[in-house]
Amino acid sequence: MQQRGCVLPLSEEEEEEEEEDEEEEEEEEEGEKKTAMAQVEKKVGLLGLRTSSSKKPLKEKVVLMYDDIFARDDPAISNPRFWDELFLMKVNLEYLEAKLESLDGDEVLKIKNNINSLFHHCIQALGEEHQIKVVNALQTLCALFRGVHRKNKSATGFDIINMLMGFDKAELRMKDLMERLDSLLCGDGSESLKSLCLKLLLCLVTVTDNISQNTILEYVMINSIFEAILQILSDVSSRSQHGYDAVVLLALLVNYRKYESVNPYIVKLSIVDDEPTLDGMGMVVHQALTEYNRQYKDKEEENQGGFLSALSSMVGSMFVADADEKLSVQTNEAILLALYEAVHLNRNFITVLAQSHPEIDMAATSIDPVPTTPTTPLGTTPPSLDLMNSAELPLDPNLQTSNLLITFLKYSSIVMQDTKDEHRLNSARLCLIILTCIAEDQYADAFLHDDNMNFRVNLHRMPMRHRKKTADKNSPSRPLVCAVLDLMVEFIVTHMMKDFPMDLYMHCVQIIHKLICYQKKCRVRLHYTWRELWSALINLLKFFLSNETTLLVKHNIFHMALQVINLFNMFITYGDTFLPTPNSYDELYYEIVRMHQVFDNLYCMVLRVSTNAGQWKEPASKVTHALINIRAIINHFSPKIESYAAVNHISQLSEDQVLEVVRSNYDTLTLKLQDGLDQFERYSEQPKETAFFKELVRSISLNVRRNVSLNTLSQDVLLKEFSSIS
Amino acid sequence: MADIHMAVPPVRVEELQFHQTLSSSTSLFSCPSSPSSASCASSCPSSSSSSSCSSSPGCSPHHRHPLASSLSSLGPSSESGCSSDAISLETEPVPDLIIDPTVAQRACQEVLEKLRGVGTPSQGEGDNQHSPLPTSPCGTDNGSVHLEVVDRGTIQEEDEAGVVGGWDEKEEVPAEETGGDSSDSPSAMSESESVSSLSSSLPSSPLPPVSASSSLSTSSSSSSSTSKQSWLLRLFESKLFDVSMAIAYLYKSKEPGVQAYIGNRLFSFPESDVDFHLPQLLSMYVHMDEELAEAIRPYLLQRCTQSVAFSLECAWLLGAYSSDMHISRQHHSRGNKFRKHILSNLLQQTAGGEGVDSAPGSPSERYLSPVRAHRHQRSKSDAAGPVGVRGGIKRSGSNPKVDGSLEEPVRLTPQREFIKSLMVIGKRLATLPTKEQKTQRLISELLLLNHKLPARFWLPTANFHHHVVRIPHTQAVVLNSKDKAPYLINVEVLECESFETSSIPVRIPETRVRSTCSTENLPDCGVAAEGRSGVGVVTTVSNYDNDDEAWAVDDIGQLQVELPEVHTSSCDNLSQFSVDSITSTESKEPVFIAAGDIRRRLSENLAHTPTTFRRDPEDPSAVALKEPWEEKVRRIREGSPYGGLPNWRLLSVIVKCGDDLRQELLAYQVLSQLQSIWEQERVPLWIKPYKILVVSCDSGMIEPVLNAVSLHQVRKQSQLSLLDYFLQEHGGPTTEGFLTAQRNFVRSCAGYSLICYLLQVKDRHNGNILLDSEGHIIHIDFGFILSSSPRNLGFETSAFKLTSDFVDVMGGLDGDMFNYYKMLMLQGLIAARKHMEKVVQIVEIMQQGSQLPCFHGSSTVRQLKERFHMSLTEEQLQVLVDQMVDASMRSITTKLYDNFQYFTNGIM
Repeated sequence: MQQRGCVLPLSEEEEEEEEEDEEEEEEEEEGEKKTAMAQVEKKVGLLGLRTSSSKKPLKEKVVLMYDDIFARDDPAISNPRFWDELFLMKVNLEYLEAKLESLDGDEVLKIKNNINSLFHHCIQALGEEHQIKVVNALQTLCALFRGVHRKNKSATGFDIINMLMGFDKAELRMKDLMERLDSLLCGDGSESLKSLCLKLLLCLVTVTDNISQNTILEYVMINSIFEAILQILSDVSSRSQHGYDAVVLLALLVNYRKYESVNPYIVKLSIVDDEPTLDGMGMVVHQALTEYNRQYKDKEEENQGGFLSALSSMVGSMFVADADEKLSVQTNEAILLALYEAVHLNRNFITVLAQSHPEIDMAATSIDPVPTTPTTPLGTTPPSLDLMNSAELPLDPNLQTSNLLITFLKYSSIVMQDTKDEHRLNSARLCLIILTCIAEDQYADAFLHDDNMNFRVNLHRMPMRHRKKTADKNSPSRPLVCAVLDLMVEFIVTHMMKDFPMDLYMHCVQIIHKLICYQKKCRVRLHYTWRELWSALINLLKFFLSNETTLLVKHNIFHMALQVINLFNMFITYGDTFLPTPNSYDELYYEIVRMHQVFDNLYCMVLRVSTNAGQWKEPASKVTHALINIRAIINHFSPKIESYAAVNHISQLSEDQVLEVVRSNYDTLTLKLQDGLDQFERYSEQPKETAFFKELVRSISLNVRRNVSLNTLSQDVLLKEFSSIS
Repeated sequence: MADIHMAVPPVRVEELQFHQTLSSSTSLFSCPSSPSSASCASSCPSSSSSSSCSSSPGCSPHHRHPLASSLSSLGPSSESGCSSDAISLETEPVPDLIIDPTVAQRACQEVLEKLRGVGTPSQGEGDNQHSPLPTSPCGTDNGSVHLEVVDRGTIQEEDEAGVVGGWDEKEEVPAEETGGDSSDSPSAMSESESVSSLSSSLPSSPLPPVSASSSLSTSSSSSSSTSKQSWLLRLFESKLFDVSMAIAYLYKSKEPGVQAYIGNRLFSFPESDVDFHLPQLLSMYVHMDEELAEAIRPYLLQRCTQSVAFSLECAWLLGAYSSDMHISRQHHSRGNKFRKHILSNLLQQTAGGEGVDSAPGSPSERYLSPVRAHRHQRSKSDAAGPVGVRGGIKRSGSNPKVDGSLEEPVRLTPQREFIKSLMVIGKRLATLPTKEQKTQRLISELLLLNHKLPARFWLPTANFHHHVVRIPHTQAVVLNSKDKAPYLINVEVLECESFETSSIPVRIPETRVRSTCSTENLPDCGVAAEGRSGVGVVTTVSNYDNDDEAWAVDDIGQLQVELPEVHTSSCDNLSQFSVDSITSTESKEPVFIAAGDIRRRLSENLAHTPTTFRRDPEDPSAVALKEPWEEKVRRIREGSPYGGLPNWRLLSVIVKCGDDLRQELLAYQVLSQLQSIWEQERVPLWIKPYKILVVSCDSGMIEPVLNAVSLHQVRKQSQLSLLDYFLQEHGGPTTEGFLTAQRNFVRSCAGYSLICYLLQVKDRHNGNILLDSEGHIIHIDFGFILSSSPRNLGFETSAFKLTSDFVDVMGGLDGDMFNYYKMLMLQGLIAARKHMEKVVQIVEIMQQGSQLPCFHGSSTVRQLKERFHMSLTEEQLQVLVDQMVDASMRSITTKLYDNFQYFTNGIM
């Protein structure tokens, strides 16, 4: 029945076309001809665009119709079936957008009614049975949003709304639009159609550089499509196809006027407790990050040259076709932002982090009412789904077990290697912020420290002169927190540069602090080589000392130094609660005594600065106080060690000998218990990170907009799909 | 088995008299015509008052067979008839039977006629093996005849006499009885009265051997068929006729009438008793003749309709036992048909009458309602948008098993799916190469499984009703196995009234534990408190409403941190005030601590933690198994969102996939039987039969032995000798802790030495012997028993494993404890052979139609019987035990086998 309904208007249309314009007559008739035709049309369209002012060349029919709209009269007067016909035509996006862009303020007002009714009819067409109409309407809407915005960069959002919909009708229209999109997204319709809906939404969300200035989104807030996004994420097949777009869309929507008003998406995202949905979100993020990691690895191998990597990147591009380009060029901040929002806002999402093997899908193994036969007219399921099923269901013994957190840590390790690029710097910062959120979460801490959940995490390490790269290929399987600590140590060691990323370091040290606080509180004795951390921290202090003058110009290094010293104080005064062995406590003393020069110098410096009046007086004096215990240790043990050496006539004491001295002289040493060592300030996005996130969202918006525009043009597939109904 | 035949005659006579006096009918059972039926009817009222005649409507479905239905009526009458008996050895609960008195009356007549009718031809055969007489089961259990009569009394003395005279006596026993009965009633009465007076004093003071033998010797060897029949009937009706006996008669009697009678008599036994013999029943059902199957079938059907758990167990066992048949026959076999019938859920509709499933519609209604409520609430919680249609669809993904089963047969599906998914996990794990990968994979698989919980799942190995609510996935470990992947999981359950009718607990999000445990979150506490009381359906729903509110309040509060208006108020939330750091903030006076104290505390803390094993990637289970169970329970409870509920319990189970557990089940039965024998005989041998659930012929579940690690793990981890390990764990050689542990060790050692000898348990390397925290050893893995041994290498020729390590723990060869060990073994063996039939019968029935390797060859049962050494005197037995101990200790092959295992499998 439905098919017949579709066929009928088509054939009528053809007849009409023949009467009007012979060139366009065969438009929808045969598949092959049509594609050929489409190409011709495209050329014609482009041609027409370029030379529209000079000559009047052949114009495709849709262009003529657009022209009708941009005339002042109501096109429906001359042709009552105008709107019906319009949406049967293949959309010429360039022309429409260019036309909108070229309008002046006055002209806009004159044709406002026509644009309003075009918008109105687009929305109406979304409800059509005939899917070609829906496709065309979606694309037209896309062009409308973009064209209007491109033109009116300076204009206020209200003007734009007025121009598109008219103030009086705006609310109704947008409500209609959102409801239509919602039902398209959630219905059993074509997957391509869903994809297009998401593209339209992405397009709408990213039309302005600053998302918060996009006034139309106010309507998207009122008419939430949150549930539709969730549904896409919870369903396996739709997730594999649209998950990426859905997650990015959600991340962007959450950031709309996040600091100024109550954003319903924030509220809703924070209370989602449906595991399949959260898992779905996690999987999408996981896949995107995995893809990035893989590509990075390929690239790394490519440097040594290889044809295999080229081949695999080809396969990769098949896999995530659209994400590919973005990822290979730069980091994927959009997906990272989505991860951040999920971790930050939703406490249930934390469980997803630890979930290994997101590839095995629950729905795939369970009795699930997922329609197995896709309703798409094409007989084939989309390639991505096939690939996903075939590639991941069989067990690959060589494949390391992974979970979102591990993938994220690997990703972070790659991103943090080089923070010179602004995107990478942003990503690294976001990674650290996410880790901060994770480290604060008690449940996350629980599984990070879970002794039964051991993993090998191969972090990427920057190749450096003084160390071998492949040293730790076979890292042992350890609790995940070890990998986090490793990553932090790695970061500390590798970023002591002139352009010192102070706030990244701050995050880094705070993450360590939070983890240690958890260990102290829960008496977790982690078998970790703390020595690496100690020496990394001492090196950081050394770096401060040697670059004092240059750093002080920009940063408050005393605050940072205080944090570092307090970490040591944690170990010194609370070491009994979380150190793995008595020996490790001895080693701590050994390390402090060994590097006493650094602490001595630091003390001299902070003493000097704190005695001088100046802006650093107070922070420096805090450091002096914090150093009490370390100085006590150095002052206590140094003479003992020296005398031991003198008594035994040894010039250079071995480590064991020093440890022996340390062990035998504890009892005469008194330490001062310091305040609030195990207290930390909880992470809060405001006000510290607001500027960062605003800027980040802006850059993501730009990026997404660029990529969406590329994709909406390649709709031949779509047309092919829908025109073959008859 | 043995005690049945021995014990019965005197007692039976006694109660027979009781009947007679009660009904004042003279020749009660001797002539099976009208008088007896009248007596039946007359005895019925007395019984029916106590037994559940009121529930008669329920019996209709399974009583299609007229004889069968009528026969079942005999059960209660006899049962209650002797319920007032002074002699009841164990108090049996009143069987809940469903019998119409009139039907019962008719049935009595029919049965008796039937018995008489069929009795005659079989008598003509004259062959003990095939006659329906009680003698036939006795035919094989020669020696033990006498022992029962003199139970607990002068066992040893009578033993030899029994051996010698066994054959004659048991022939005589029935004769004597029947003779007495068939003659005129007054004499029978007087005689049996005297016997009854004798036997009624049995429990308090042992029957003097003289009187027993005298009563036996008075019998004559010739008897008529009818009298034998009535004797049999009276045996069946006697108080002492227990499940074990019933099974024996079922197995040995080729008589359809007897089979049918016993089939219905099963209804009167306590369910738990029958459940123990379920493998035998089902094995007979599958492998023996049609009549027998028909006789058991009603009982099985009835139980299946009553209980989901029973249905599933039947289905699994039937599947497993049918698998030995030839492929072509297998599909259409009786077992498979019945299995399909059970699984097809037709049984639920036929469930009528009494109890839980009274009205066909209502149980399923009740069953589903919580689920629906659950789902509905859930969808509401996250979808409140403009398009409300979607709520249901979305949610359906999360609880597919429960939701998906809405239209499907709901009764068995959830549990089957649960077990199936556990098995699938095992199969998947087996494909992974390293333990590390397996463990990681296992954890992630279980996490996914967790999403489907809570649901109407339960662990069949547990002995209380419960619902599985959560699997603490990170606590799961992969066990040591070369190519399979058995794994151990812990399962959090909530105890409930009945897993079939109680509502499924509400899901609590995984992360919720934080708010309940870490911060004082009032709404959360409210939920927890409610959940505590929430068992019924109503509270479940309201519960969830609260939950939603809790979320909303909670999260908006959390959210507001981001909102500018309230931000100022929340920016000073310095958090994580640890209890240990109270020192600060208020007191501004500096606090000093000695560095030495910190260092000392650190070493003390580490020293005081109980000895733990190192984490070993090759042996991930060692650490997990070493952790004391209580400790583990406490830890998991703390980390569980359900931990606050009072009915929270932790169970654990080993899932085995790819292994045939039927032999393990057999071993479990034998071990349990021996355990109860030893308990009955007051021999302080210690063994630990662990429960087995056979799911199919190549998968199943095992109840883990708690607080136990393998000797291999002990050795490898501690690098100590066994004695030193004992000293380390339990204290010095004179401490109470050590002595208790040593005593435990000796008792368990003796128990398992006997088990190993009797069952010929092989493959006894140190990985298959566990040591628990109290010092008991526990043998596991009964993969090679009876006629099978690993690869037939001819190793392990000794009777059991007794290494010098073991002897050292017992205090050396000359120690008291070592002598105690030998003495225990002797006592154990004597006790065991007294009840040999009970043990042998378990094995014998299972041999039927079985392809299990333990039944390889034809002489399995005969050799098993020989190992009980019925013919030896006690002194001879003692010599035998000494010899075996000596041989085992000196055995080079034990050492060889251990070395062999070390070199091939790395087992120390």
